Amino acid sequence: MLSKVQSFGLKGIEGFPIDVETDVSNGLPGFDVVGLADTAIKEAKERVKNAIRNSAFTYPIKKITINLAPADVKKEGSLYDLAMAVAILSCDEELKIKNERKYVYIGELSFDGSVKKVKGVLPLLISAREAGFKEFLIPKENLAEASFIEGINVYGVENLREAISFLKGEHQIDPVEVCKFENTLNQNRYGLDFANVKGQKMAKRALEIAAAGGHNLIMIGPPGSGKSMLAKCFPTILSDLTFDEALEVTKIHSVAGELDGEKGIVNCRPFRSPHHTATTVALTGGGNNAKPGEISLADHGVLFLDEFPEYSRQSIEVLRQPLEDGIITVARNKSTVSYPANFTLIASMNPCPCGHYGSKDRECHCSAGQISKYLSKLSGPIMDRIDIHIEVENVTYDQLKSDSLEEPSCEIKKRVDRARLIQLERFKGAKNFSNAKMSVAQTKKYCKLDINSEHLLRVAFEKLKLSARAHDRILKVARTIADLEGCENIGANHIAEAISYRTLDRKYWN
Amino acid sequence: MDKRDYFIVFLSQFDLTSSKIAQIIDEMSEPSIQAFKKTKFDEKIIKQESYHKMLECADPILVETYVKNLHDRDIEIVTIFDERYPQKLREMTDSPYILYYKGDLSLANKPSLSVVGSRKPTSYGKIATEKIVRDVASGGVVVVSGLAYGVDSIAHRAALDNGGKTIAVLGSGFDHVYPSEHQSLADEIAKKGLLISEQRPKRTASKYLFPLRNRIIAALSEGTLITEASIKSGTIHTKDFALDYGRNIYAVPGNIDSTSSELTNEVIKTGQAQCVTCGKDILDDYDIKAENKQRGQEHLSEDERKIVSLLEDGMKSIDFLTKNSQLDINNFNTCLTMLEIRGIITRLPGGSVALN
Repeated sequence: MLSKVQSFGLKGIEGFPIDVETDVSNGLPGFDVVGLADTAIKEAKERVKNAIRNSAFTYPIKKITINLAPADVKKEGSLYDLAMAVAILSCDEELKIKNERKYVYIGELSFDGSVKKVKGVLPLLISAREAGFKEFLIPKENLAEASFIEGINVYGVENLREAISFLKGEHQIDPVEVCKFENTLNQNRYGLDFANVKGQKMAKRALEIAAAGGHNLIMIGPPGSGKSMLAKCFPTILSDLTFDEALEVTKIHSVAGELDGEKGIVNCRPFRSPHHTATTVALTGGGNNAKPGEISLADHGVLFLDEFPEYSRQSIEVLRQPLEDGIITVARNKSTVSYPANFTLIASMNPCPCGHYGSKDRECHCSAGQISKYLSKLSGPIMDRIDIHIEVENVTYDQLKSDSLEEPSCEIKKRVDRARLIQLERFKGAKNFSNAKMSVAQTKKYCKLDINSEHLLRVAFEKLKLSARAHDRILKVARTIADLEGCENIGANHIAEAISYRTLDRKYWN
Repeated sequence: MDKRDYFIVFLSQFDLTSSKIAQIIDEMSEPSIQAFKKTKFDEKIIKQESYHKMLECADPILVETYVKNLHDRDIEIVTIFDERYPQKLREMTDSPYILYYKGDLSLANKPSLSVVGSRKPTSYGKIATEKIVRDVASGGVVVVSGLAYGVDSIAHRAALDNGGKTIAVLGSGFDHVYPSEHQSLADEIAKKGLLISEQRPKRTASKYLFPLRNRIIAALSEGTLITEASIKSGTIHTKDFALDYGRNIYAVPGNIDSTSSELTNEVIKTGQAQCVTCGKDILDDYDIKAENKQRGQEHLSEDERKIVSLLEDGMKSIDFLTKNSQLDINNFNTCLTMLEIRGIITRLPGGSVALN
């Protein structure tokens, strides 16, 4: 007796259809799975067998063979359990299951027959919808993430028994209601606000510019000066995710199993801060199955690297290509996968190994050589990709206790949104959406300087001994500053302000 | 160059100290390669083994090509037998017999000030060095220092940036500038000033060469200025040499609780040094009339004046300035850069700002 049901597999963040073909025949009782299945799938035998028995169905004492087609693609994970169980049971003529072929089945089975949640449901559903599938049976716990996709019917089931009686038509389940993404955007989703950060005007302004133009930024300051706090508040002034961006982010988080089950979709910009002992693979993604790494999880959000020079040289250098292209290709023996990695890099560091160089109230104990070695860990190519450098000072007790009102994040965000709109207009049809990602040609086109500004820049280079690589960075940042002001042209004051964010280029560091 | 010069060049290839060279010359009838070949040296002065090795190179033609090759690389040589040898160095007890140099040797005979101090100055040390060097250099005094990290390089830089002249004395040979990061600074000084080393170009840097360099720095100037140094600093050698050679010592006072100013406060307290707080103090001592430069004549916008007036009583943090100037942060940053470009203020590591 043969049956065939539909399921979906996952490669990177893209899904592909899998036919679960089951043959139940007379012969020595047994259960085999063929079709390049991994250990998790081979072990499905036991789960499926016990789930069927414990749901009070009859497990056939026959020879069962399951083929996962296409047979030449490696498959992994426990998400085919439900499909297998349905396929086996639909071979039981007494059960009279009808239209089992109508649905796509995704879900893991537990011994007691309940259907447990799996990773990667959102990307699967999106791919399946594109492939023309309309009806889905998935774990109830995964319904939240499925509810954002329009044009399909998704049914959530709690256990195998419910699924079977649904298929027999004995039990009615309503497809999940479609949620509007926009409705999830109302509340402050971050729990942080710039209003709570006292002082640090310079840093806040720099972060505002970084948010508006998509610039990468590095903060230099002694320990305890609030660098991490500033960085954590940064997402609150970024413009909201669009639905497409949110889907992309959710896909990645879903694949990595990092999705919040209740929310279902990632509706706030991700903020990732891997520890500095993180391996290169943890950052880029990889492992046997080429899982997404931190930089992909930070897609459309913020990658915060605290104590930047403490990261291994290699970990820092691997950021180069993704910072440029916004994508990372992870090649591993089982698969080669491209993950998006469009993130804003916020780095922070101490001015020297002990952290107090240049401080007014603490003495620094590092030798001149140590300091220059510490700073030299930031290679030229990486610094080339960081547009804004600022120094963050220690906050004094008075500042901490002052009642002065600080500007809340939502006010800053309004300005950022305006500047973003200008950029979207400017880069219509181009590949990039932000000033930071302007190509050389675009920089020439959009960052024209008048004589005054040109002169100012020249003098600044000579007087302040800026390095050559600063030139384009300054232009891009000046462009963003002008956008924040709503100015069509870059003026001398914009250039002057942009120059003030190039601390590390200055020769005063030794 | 005569045969005495060539002889010294020949000897300098073996990294001998000045006193050793003096001993060798004492044994000989005249300082020349020919005489060297004929002289029988005591085992105490040159070991038999080394003497034989030296003899292999004792060829006037070899030495001449060596000098010529150096000349092609713009490295010149002056020995103590040469008239051009800096007069001030002759006043030392252990004058270097040979100097390799790049640039304008006549600078060594001009009135000069050695500026020495910590390799890792605080913001205060940096401001003090820059301020005094700027005034002194624009008064026409040559600034001498050792191209090291910190005060040394700040002094060289400040002199060059203000159109002054500067001399850098290296501890190692020209091929091994230490620290290597200052190679470009060394090149600039060779072009616009004078670069000196007692060591042959191929000699690498090592610990004991630096006190030797310090003695030249001390001797090369009429006065030595210590801007900021702790009691453990190597600056103490330079100070002692300067005292030995009868040079003036100037020191910038610091806070009594600052370890970075221990040495300067100490030398002022013990009377070894004259306390200076501005370039004019030194120029007066040199009998040079200071240029009368007045601040405040420059045109400042209203916002800029706000910042400048807040800075009048000393260095301030950026947070302090943004809060008290009441300027918008974007406007504030613009003003800051403009003031900096015009040379009215300096920004220091740690987010501080000071008036120039």
